Amino acid sequence: MAVECCLLRRIDLWVERELVAACGGEELGDRDGETKFSVTMCNDDVCGTRSGRSSSVVVDGRPVTDFVSRRRRLHQSSPALRRLSLCLCFCLLVSEMGDQSKHRILMVSDFFFPNFGGVENHIYYLAQCLLKLGHKVVVMTHAYETRSGVRYMTGGLKVYYIPWKPFLMQNTLPTFYGTLPIIRTILIREKISLVHGHQAFSTLCHEALMHARTMGYRVVFTDHSLYGFADAGSIHMNKVLQFTLADVTQAICVSHTSKENTVLRSGLPSEKVFVIPNAMDTAMFKPAPEQLCRDEIVIVVISRLVYRKGADLLVEVIPEVCRLYPNVRFIVGGDGPKRVRLEEMREKNSLQDRVEMLGAVPHAKVRSVLILGHIFLNSSLTEAFCIAILEAASCGLLTVSTRVGGVPEVLPDDMIVLAKPDPVDMVQAIRKAIDILPKIDPHAMHLRMKKLYSWHDVAKRTEIVYDRAVRCSNQNLLERLSRYLTCGTWAGKLFCLVMIIDFLLWHLLKVFQPAADIEVVPDIVTPPCQHVGKEQVGTVSVVPEFSSSCDWEASCRQAPVWTAESIL
Amino acid sequence: MAAEYCSTNSRYTYVHEDQKGNLEAIDAHHILLRKGNSKFVLLFLSAILLTTTAFSLSTLKHGESSNILLWSLLLSTTLVIVFLRKPVEKESVIIMPAFGVQLETHYRSGGTIHRFIPIDKILKPVLNECVTPVTCYWSLSLILREEEELLLVFKELRPPVKMLIPVWKALCVATDSLETIDQPG
Repeated sequence: MAVECCLLRRIDLWVERELVAACGGEELGDRDGETKFSVTMCNDDVCGTRSGRSSSVVVDGRPVTDFVSRRRRLHQSSPALRRLSLCLCFCLLVSEMGDQSKHRILMVSDFFFPNFGGVENHIYYLAQCLLKLGHKVVVMTHAYETRSGVRYMTGGLKVYYIPWKPFLMQNTLPTFYGTLPIIRTILIREKISLVHGHQAFSTLCHEALMHARTMGYRVVFTDHSLYGFADAGSIHMNKVLQFTLADVTQAICVSHTSKENTVLRSGLPSEKVFVIPNAMDTAMFKPAPEQLCRDEIVIVVISRLVYRKGADLLVEVIPEVCRLYPNVRFIVGGDGPKRVRLEEMREKNSLQDRVEMLGAVPHAKVRSVLILGHIFLNSSLTEAFCIAILEAASCGLLTVSTRVGGVPEVLPDDMIVLAKPDPVDMVQAIRKAIDILPKIDPHAMHLRMKKLYSWHDVAKRTEIVYDRAVRCSNQNLLERLSRYLTCGTWAGKLFCLVMIIDFLLWHLLKVFQPAADIEVVPDIVTPPCQHVGKEQVGTVSVVPEFSSSCDWEASCRQAPVWTAESIL
Repeated sequence: MAAEYCSTNSRYTYVHEDQKGNLEAIDAHHILLRKGNSKFVLLFLSAILLTTTAFSLSTLKHGESSNILLWSLLLSTTLVIVFLRKPVEKESVIIMPAFGVQLETHYRSGGTIHRFIPIDKILKPVLNECVTPVTCYWSLSLILREEEELLLVFKELRPPVKMLIPVWKALCVATDSLETIDQPG
């Protein structure tokens, strides 16, 4: 009661100060328990003193006392209303402060460097741009062979490689509760405010989001792929996703098609899902300095040669196009199980001089392959976003692609020719592309792409999602359990049980390892230019590469070095 | 003249003895493990479990839940072995400037293990974050010249980073002063 009175008085004082400031007045200071204000308005000079509870300050013809004393009367009359107005005032105060606050984000995924791919790239670039905006970002992933422990990347990005072995397709072994202690330790020592999980296929991501929700943190989930509904694998994956997303604070999808897919699979309300497209590093993908000669048209294909990426379509399309257009040549980069079929097609149709197979192309060399061509061919059967066509467009190539998933949303209509995932339609599309080709200006395309897609834009939009997530109210366990029950007749009860056990294990862990025992890590300040030198702050260290060792104790001795000035 | 500084937390006590006298200053840093009763209680309980399991197994008729008893016998034996491991009383770092660093581990039973590292073998002392499958903690290690692995300064104990910092600073000063002598000009 005493606290509330004190708080009320402070809020009153704050409200009055705000009103006076809004009118262009000034506070003349406290003296003998009186607070004096002077308010000067457009035509009138009004000077008033406030002593005790009365005030003769006049604003817009209405004495301020009216407003203040009315509020005070209201408060004195009803405790519930008083509490409500207290809360409202505090919300106003906090929201004003919160808009400027920086977040401390933990990005969790099984997919990160040294593995290379779309999700990995996304996490890395997003983290770098968020660091530039002033937020703190920490990444958590599983250990890759000898790479285990704490590593620092450019810009002071801290990465925790947790020594849990991957068991299937780069995913950590799902133990439900096994990762709870280490996740809790990282969340406390880095003073994380928000957990951001990536990719529905990552078990570490699902576990981390589950534990973070149990411990009361806000969670954001980004889905990067489209999944089916029919086969057994998809059904189970969708159930797991339903469990994770039942209680997620906000979700992000990379295209509107992906949003529809995620909402249908998980049953998440669509208001909670934001669409933030991927981007790419346009500085890395610049067109060739001199335009290629158009006598011979070169069509480039760079993708993993698997069923999902439409390698079978290529087998049908390439001979047909070569037959119809004698001046067309193909360059095929990439490797996979379907490569054998492409080689066979090449042999059968004697296209050795018309179709060049490059094999696996490292990402750093992709640009040098793209600038050899005029047209980029993408034959994917399913794609949530497709960064490959962005890269091709940035290099000044005209794209021919299948109209699947989120592909139509990626490029403007004059930069892409779409076709059904059918060989005949694709050949038609290639014919159309060859006709449009003379009108294409690679450098103009590159400049347009630079404006359309940038990671800084993605980071700013993601920041808005984080601000929204942080403002969401935190519910207690019982309210959250009711959301899980809606997941299904049996599944709902199972999910509730899983969460209750998680909650109990968390409390048990709090007894054995109190939060006070976990030391908070000081923030590392990175210098503007980072050299690998004697004094290192937040850079990859001088610690030499050690011989491979399986156990984590030895790998602990491989962690990098940083100076201790920041922890003094 | 010996100056002493002490700081404690619930598990560890840090004592710093700075002996500046006669010819050379010897810097000694000790981390003492506080005696915990919980370990003895757990040891006692594990021992009771072991004896009752062994007794039940010996008086058992064949076939009656022998599997469960065998597993609990195994578990209790493991627990007793774990708690009966040599308890550490103190770990010390004695820095002799321009000479070397002596790392000592004192056990409660009275035994001591000494490791001496000549000062020119130490490249740099480092504070590492060690990540295990269940936790993450700080450790102080020495990078040694011509050695592949780091040498842990406190091998058995895991003191908090606030206690590691003064030791790290002292080691840096000792190794840095050697480097400034080595560098030409």
